[in-house]
Amino acid sequence: MTNSFKEFENAKLFFCIGTNMTEAHPVASYFVKRAVKKGATLIVADPRRQPLADHAKIFAQIKVGSDIAFLNGIMNVLIAEDLYDKKYVEENCEDFDSLKAMVKEYPVEKASKLSGVPVETIVEIARTMASIKPGMLCYTLGITEHTCGKNNVMSTSNLQMLLGNIGKQCGGVNPLRGQNNVQGACDMAALPAVFPGYQSVADPAVREKFMKAWKVASLPDKPGLMIPDMMAGLPTKKVRAFYIFGENLANSEPNITHVEHELSSAEFIVCNDIFPTETTRFAHVVLPAAAWCEDEGTFTSSERRVNRVRKIKEAPGMAKPNWWIFKEIAKRMGQEWQSEGAGEIWDNEISMLAPAYGGIKYSRIEQDGLQWPCPNVEHPGTEFLHRDGKFSRGKGLFKGIEWTPPAEVQDKEYPFVLSTGRRLFHYHTRTQTSRAGLDMILPEETADISPADAEKLNIANGEYIRVSSRRGSVKVRARVTEQIPGGMVWMAFHFRDGNANWLTNNVFDPETKTAEYKACAVKLEKER
Amino acid sequence: MGKTFIIDDREIAFDGSKTVLQIARENDIYIPSLCYHPKLGPASKCRVCVVEVEGIRALQTACTLMPKEGMKVNTSSERVIDARRMVVNLLLANGNHNCLSCEVNGACELQEAAYRLGIEIPAFVVEEREERDESGVFIMRDPGKCIQCGRCIEGCNRLVVNEVLDFGYRGGHTKVICDGDLPMGQSSCVQCGECVQLCPVGALIEKKGMGKARTWETKKVRTTCPYCGVGCQLELHVKGDQIIRVTGVEDAQPNQGHLCVKGRFGYDFIYSKDRLTTPLIREKDGFREAGWDEALDLVAGKFKQIIKESGPDAIAGVSCARSINEDSYNMQKLFRGVIGTNNIDHCART
Amino acid sequence: MKKNYQERVENIIRKYPDARSAVLPVMQLIQKESGNNLSASGIDEAARTVGMSRSGIFGIATYYTMFNTRPVGAYHLQVDTCVPGFLHGADGIVKHLSEKLGIAVGETTKDGMFTLSTVQDLASCATGPVIQVNDRYFENMTVEKADKLIESLKKGKEPENDTSMNVVSECGILLNDRTKKDCRTIGFYKKNGGYRALKKALAMKPADIVNEVKEAGIRGRGGAGFPAGMKWSFLPQDDPRPVYLICNADEGEPGTFKDRQIMEFNPHLLIEGIAISAHAIQAAKSFIYIRGEFSWIADILETAIEEAKKDGCLSHTEIVVHRGGGSYVCGDETAQIESLEGKRGNPRVKPPFPANFGLYGCPTVVNNVETLSNVPYVITHGAEAYKKIGVTNNTGPKIFGVSGHVNRPGVYEYPLGTKLKVILDAAGGVKGKLKGVIVGGLSVPILTPAEANDLSLDYDSCQKAGTALGSGGIMVINDTVSIPELALRTIEFYQHESCGQCVPCREGSLVIMKKLKNLVDGRGTKEDIDLVLHLCANIRGLTLCPTGEAFSMPIQAMVAKYRPEFEALVK
Repeated sequence: MTNSFKEFENAKLFFCIGTNMTEAHPVASYFVKRAVKKGATLIVADPRRQPLADHAKIFAQIKVGSDIAFLNGIMNVLIAEDLYDKKYVEENCEDFDSLKAMVKEYPVEKASKLSGVPVETIVEIARTMASIKPGMLCYTLGITEHTCGKNNVMSTSNLQMLLGNIGKQCGGVNPLRGQNNVQGACDMAALPAVFPGYQSVADPAVREKFMKAWKVASLPDKPGLMIPDMMAGLPTKKVRAFYIFGENLANSEPNITHVEHELSSAEFIVCNDIFPTETTRFAHVVLPAAAWCEDEGTFTSSERRVNRVRKIKEAPGMAKPNWWIFKEIAKRMGQEWQSEGAGEIWDNEISMLAPAYGGIKYSRIEQDGLQWPCPNVEHPGTEFLHRDGKFSRGKGLFKGIEWTPPAEVQDKEYPFVLSTGRRLFHYHTRTQTSRAGLDMILPEETADISPADAEKLNIANGEYIRVSSRRGSVKVRARVTEQIPGGMVWMAFHFRDGNANWLTNNVFDPETKTAEYKACAVKLEKER
Repeated sequence: MGKTFIIDDREIAFDGSKTVLQIARENDIYIPSLCYHPKLGPASKCRVCVVEVEGIRALQTACTLMPKEGMKVNTSSERVIDARRMVVNLLLANGNHNCLSCEVNGACELQEAAYRLGIEIPAFVVEEREERDESGVFIMRDPGKCIQCGRCIEGCNRLVVNEVLDFGYRGGHTKVICDGDLPMGQSSCVQCGECVQLCPVGALIEKKGMGKARTWETKKVRTTCPYCGVGCQLELHVKGDQIIRVTGVEDAQPNQGHLCVKGRFGYDFIYSKDRLTTPLIREKDGFREAGWDEALDLVAGKFKQIIKESGPDAIAGVSCARSINEDSYNMQKLFRGVIGTNNIDHCART
Repeated sequence: MKKNYQERVENIIRKYPDARSAVLPVMQLIQKESGNNLSASGIDEAARTVGMSRSGIFGIATYYTMFNTRPVGAYHLQVDTCVPGFLHGADGIVKHLSEKLGIAVGETTKDGMFTLSTVQDLASCATGPVIQVNDRYFENMTVEKADKLIESLKKGKEPENDTSMNVVSECGILLNDRTKKDCRTIGFYKKNGGYRALKKALAMKPADIVNEVKEAGIRGRGGAGFPAGMKWSFLPQDDPRPVYLICNADEGEPGTFKDRQIMEFNPHLLIEGIAISAHAIQAAKSFIYIRGEFSWIADILETAIEEAKKDGCLSHTEIVVHRGGGSYVCGDETAQIESLEGKRGNPRVKPPFPANFGLYGCPTVVNNVETLSNVPYVITHGAEAYKKIGVTNNTGPKIFGVSGHVNRPGVYEYPLGTKLKVILDAAGGVKGKLKGVIVGGLSVPILTPAEANDLSLDYDSCQKAGTALGSGGIMVINDTVSIPELALRTIEFYQHESCGQCVPCREGSLVIMKKLKNLVDGRGTKEDIDLVLHLCANIRGLTLCPTGEAFSMPIQAMVAKYRPEFEALVK
């Protein structure tokens, strides 16, 4: 997030696209709803009429995968009607012409046809956003989980730059991160091309710094593999050992049949986990880890805030903190690491090596956490990025983006589009929530379908149906709801049975390697 | 000193931004209050915070009273105490305010008011009211303990905007309802628990902690929620190694005390009997238990062998988006600095 | 739902600056369209229509008494058993109906035809006992007439209502000649000089009207007696927000039935009063908040407003008739504002006062029907002429409603300051031996015959006598009545009507009611009597709105002044 949650309450306008906030980020949604009660304008764009739409002034029910066309249509109106922030664009941005030329190809009629949003609505959104400044743009996985995910993201920044909404309080581009420490895992460089704090592995000076700090003679300089390529390397033995730390890939990755084929063909899999999962079945060694509440440490939230987590109990049995496990493996491979415990790792290594955390020390985050960048111990942290339109790279770069359809679209045989997401009462593959009583509220998966389709196919609410794609087929109860438009099915992957990932398409954004969880083609049948 | 006014013969400065109740609290002057909550502002409904102001005939509610230059406030005149006693006695008269096994015994604002006013036994009749509503999965409602202060309703509608609770009926029959007066478990309530956190008495209770600890036995530990990426600040109420309940940290960024159903009630997976407690090594169709040394030697040995045979890039790893930063840091340090590969990733994209 | 439902809903919503204000009329419409019931689906429908939560709608449905969230029969028979009804023999009617229909109070006949209920105060005091059947009144009931009513309803026919009572207009300002068939028409009104005051006022500067009314000293006729002109002058000057005028027609104080006399028979007088006042305070929108039970009177007002509009009298202000839902507390000005905003009728904390922060947070004036109906006279004849009516500081005509034990119950328009004796004589004198009299509606302390003997009916004299003129609803009580029973009836009313918001009123009225019930049932103790007095003394002045005072003062007076009667009940 370029901006912060505390700005939500005072924001004047929200443009929420592809974010099921009331279920996936309930507390963030409280602040949005409160702002709306106080007079803020909320625009929601989503294929589903999800609960946030009830609070929206304008709801655009876009077709699955049409985001770029829809956003280009809005920008077309902003430019055609001369409503964009010319001064901001001139002073702070580059390559406006590239954007202008591209969105010219998306007159509202065309954008409307591709996105399914009425022309008047697109125009109304553009005019509303131009008249209420600044506005906060929020998105979640509805934007990223497409083969064009990266382009979707860039389109959202195009829009916010065009409106002059970046670098301002109560503005910005705000992806709400799905998991408690997905931001932190990125920041810590559990990524193939960077060191902690987004320092490139290709930069010799950076490598030099880390070599010195880690007391090693060399560090690899070319980017490593991303998850899909790692897994693709298992059957070919390109990847011979696969270390899975706390992830349940067998349920959470698209096309389970294929994923399990890959995992089962692996030569050597190590898992650190707190529970046996569908994934640990494939492991050769399973290492029992300390869980939340069993270790001191930090999580970094969506708003770049480094927050403390604290220990209240010992891990059960022989379970150990994960940092200890990695340290012990390092020792057995010939390296003695100094830091003992999360506090030392943070204060003596992370905060010393990554300039953005230079000022974040455990002693400073006993109460509220600090938001990076926080370069020195006097620095109060950064509430929002790119202040006054000063971008990290100098000027904000526009890039005209062409719309591309999902990799798999509906046809005669598979006439429905399946999109996936999360539900309020569960989290991911339920390893935690199923063991905290939440099954009592939501005991099984459903396939959400529209009343019109239910009637057409003679399916009653709660009845078992079969949903099939080219990759698999599941039996699952139908949930008939007005939230879903005709021609669409919506599912989650909280449960092993009826898991949407038996069906989803294992195709990926070419750069970010994010899978297209949000769109594939399926068919529905009444289960007999 | 700028403007001042007088509470119980104490001269106190004020700037016009705070009520007499707020100022009294800051100065450790006890004025009971039941409907006021800092997050919700004054409601002026319970009337227990009344004080006497020189020159004004009627008693004034301190939660709404703004000080004026030279104003003389008496917080404990006989008239004030009589009025407060009557109010508390009236509340005790209707319902079932039995502290013996009440979960909030020791943290109950009604009990505190009664104690401070020296009420040992309710002065009037005792009326049984409605039965408990146990239909909510995580929240128990006890209308017999409800004092209709309305904090839960305000929280539900104004703070978390879930719009489930409201007052139903009227007068002495007024009660807190879910939707069209449905049992909580059948209503549209999503069990976020904001109402529980705001309740001044034992009318809304976390079921998970019932019977497990008295309020004074728990210590509070601040931590961060293990679910979504908002980073809500939690207060764990802990007895021994058991979490008894979870509340949101008031005034903390980013959540300002609010939580959702998972953050408030989804904590006890850590106690699950399913937890992995020992290293496991694959053996034919299953796993066998092993010691740390054996398991770690096996992993390190296998890695060394693969590096030797196929180079470091034949090893790949996925870190965890739920565990702490320091774990991810150490994992990537292991991969880059020890194994010698950048094949490290995590599920940043799901 | 009928075909044009959506259109009707939209028409309702259009009347209000905020859709939420339409909640009561929308719910009323839904209930009417659904066989006089508001089911769960009706509640959902209302929630969708006005954009509120289900609990919010249900909270409103169960706050106001006129919504049937539980099914009722085709004919809902509601007998008013509050104090005036009680004095006029309503209990006998209830007993008779119960036996005749074979159902207890609260039950519905097996065939689903009749539901029998008791109801608290229908403002039909001199014409009691009264039975409300769905949205119609049947007044001056006797056992025989009740039989006829049932037989007629069984045949699907509603008989004529007998509204007869004694009407005397000594002043001839507020009450017109209702024996004339066309008394409600604009033609009749104008023939008798109507709307000339408005014409004159529209040519005047608003500030001059305010001054004239101030000078005339019209005191609020709703009960508080606060000078109307003064109230108007509290409005902030040069404020950009719109100003609203609300005419309080929620006549609900037991013993009071004066405003309906104006609205039902002389509606244009009120409309002219509103039109002048709206000009004086520069309100472009005015509301008449009329109690929901007066649905036919609301229709009369709407017809009259249409007439006046067509006649060009209302080009400067729009008047919207808003029907309440059944709540005494909504007679309080801030509760009324809340109710008009589409909420439960809970009074607001003051300050801020409505003059600064009223309807939708805008400057607002709330005036009683009778108060506003005094305005045209002041404009036509001037403050000086007006002040000649009545006595010093208590000027103008006043409608006194007399019910209970007199020979000719009815309404009497006399100058303020008229002796109680005069009014009682006009009402044909006391039936039997006088035991006590309540002169200002149920919320004022009762007077013993000695205290009442030489009483002048004006605000100041009544206050001096330890009571209040209130709304001028006079209830005469003879020696057949047990005062403890009267006290129980009184507290039953307030306990039923308490909004439930603040503790002393909600819980205090409940405890007092239980204690008085114990006493009346012969299960009471001397401590109960003392406790009632203790509670009354402490509740007074402690509640959020005047309701606490409204029951603590009369109950205290009844117990204190007739204590031996209470003590005699202790066994």
